[in-house]
Amino acid sequence: MSLRVKIGRGWKRSSKTTILLLLSVVFFFVFSAADAVGQKRFSRSFPAGKNVRLQLLNRSGTVTVEGWNRQEVAISARLEAPTAVIAPQLIEGTILINLVKDNQGRGDVGNVNFNVKVPYSCMVDIETLIGNLIVTNVRGGLVRAHISSEGDVTLTNISAYSVQAQNGIGDLFFDGEILPGGNYRFSSMKGNINIRIPFTSSFKLVATAPSTRYISLGSFSNSSMNYFGDGRRVVGKFGDGSSTLTVTNQRGSISFLTK
Amino acid sequence: MNCSECQEILSRFIDGELDEKRSATVGDHLAVCAECTVLCDDLAEILLQCREADSTEATPPNPAALWRRINNLIESELPAEIPVEEKPRGWRFTFSQAGVAVLVVALISSFLTIVGIRNYYEPPGSDLSASASEPPSTMQRLLSKVGLAETPQQARDRKFKEQQAAIEYWDRRVQMRKANWDHRMRAAFDRNLFEIDQAVNEYTLILQKDPEDQLSEEMLDSALTEKMNLLRQFSEL
Repeated sequence: MSLRVKIGRGWKRSSKTTILLLLSVVFFFVFSAADAVGQKRFSRSFPAGKNVRLQLLNRSGTVTVEGWNRQEVAISARLEAPTAVIAPQLIEGTILINLVKDNQGRGDVGNVNFNVKVPYSCMVDIETLIGNLIVTNVRGGLVRAHISSEGDVTLTNISAYSVQAQNGIGDLFFDGEILPGGNYRFSSMKGNINIRIPFTSSFKLVATAPSTRYISLGSFSNSSMNYFGDGRRVVGKFGDGSSTLTVTNQRGSISFLTK
Repeated sequence: MNCSECQEILSRFIDGELDEKRSATVGDHLAVCAECTVLCDDLAEILLQCREADSTEATPPNPAALWRRINNLIESELPAEIPVEEKPRGWRFTFSQAGVAVLVVALISSFLTIVGIRNYYEPPGSDLSASASEPPSTMQRLLSKVGLAETPQQARDRKFKEQQAAIEYWDRRVQMRKANWDHRMRAAFDRNLFEIDQAVNEYTLILQKDPEDQLSEEMLDSALTEKMNLLRQFSEL
């Protein structure tokens, strides 16, 4: 009798455990499915010519652009709910994606996180209202990354004649080459600007940090670099000064690092 | 002769154009007919007055003046003709005037050449003191001193007003649409606007103390442009 009772209690315990386990499994799948429904994916590819240009305007989310060794532009995106409308266009060698225009009037649109693969020689012009912008391995004529409000700009392994990076609140990092005759412009409202370039670079510099007066030239400091306006601005020449480098941080710091 | 025959030739009778015989016949009739006599007197009176009027009003004609007036009237009614280029009359200068003119031309051309060369060899980026934005050229500074162009202060005020007007416009649009944005978007926008306004206030205070601080002026301009761009971009949502 006592044995039966034990067996009965044991069965009851194990059945409770099983039910709990089953419920957990069911909940896991239900939530996973919900998550899968909440996030959609978008992907599309375009054949790329020699002078291909990517022009992307996002509303919110991270945009990552990577150079690759293929004459093709591959766009993939992860869309959070409520999902945005994406309608890329190819017009005369320029791939245009404008999420602001495509979703105009929709107040509530989820993040769109782009991952775009472009040929090394592609010109990249990306912009977002909120979110991070990352560009890697690009050697085209132009790299432009602009954040209207908050987000970090990270540009690594860049070799372009014209580079422009701008954000509101957030950090800005450039790691690349300064080419002779090039034009490089970095601007932030509040954050840290870090520029990592080879010591062999040559440029004319105008660096302005009026609020913090923190301008660290590192190895690029030389006798031709002059401070103006009580240290709010540094102007000078490094090397033969064949390119132009303009850095402005309204309420943050500017630092130069050697590559 | 009856009355109607007499009245028919009465005018010629007064003018003395009738032959003797007919003139005598008319005279005989007038002697016996009171009605025709009165008519003859009236007609003679009228003709007399007409002759007097002609003699007083008629001024000796000036054919040349009259022809000129007629000619002018005709020309004014004709379509305008293409003017024929007149050969320029040669300017006559004294030797000293010509010398001064040559000197002035030489000075102006030298000045323009110097300004051009300076602008060519000294692009805005190479100005070491300086602003990242383009400084006024020598020509602009000269013109503003002469009063032919606006001074930097006037240009600054005008630009500031334009920026403020644009900011107000875009701000109105943002306020109309802001209610539709999600919470995250609103918060990010407000944080950024706050930072920009902080910078604007900072530079405005510096400029109140030192209106000649070019760097703050430049930064204020840059911050206002930032604000305008932020408002414009978010107003498109």
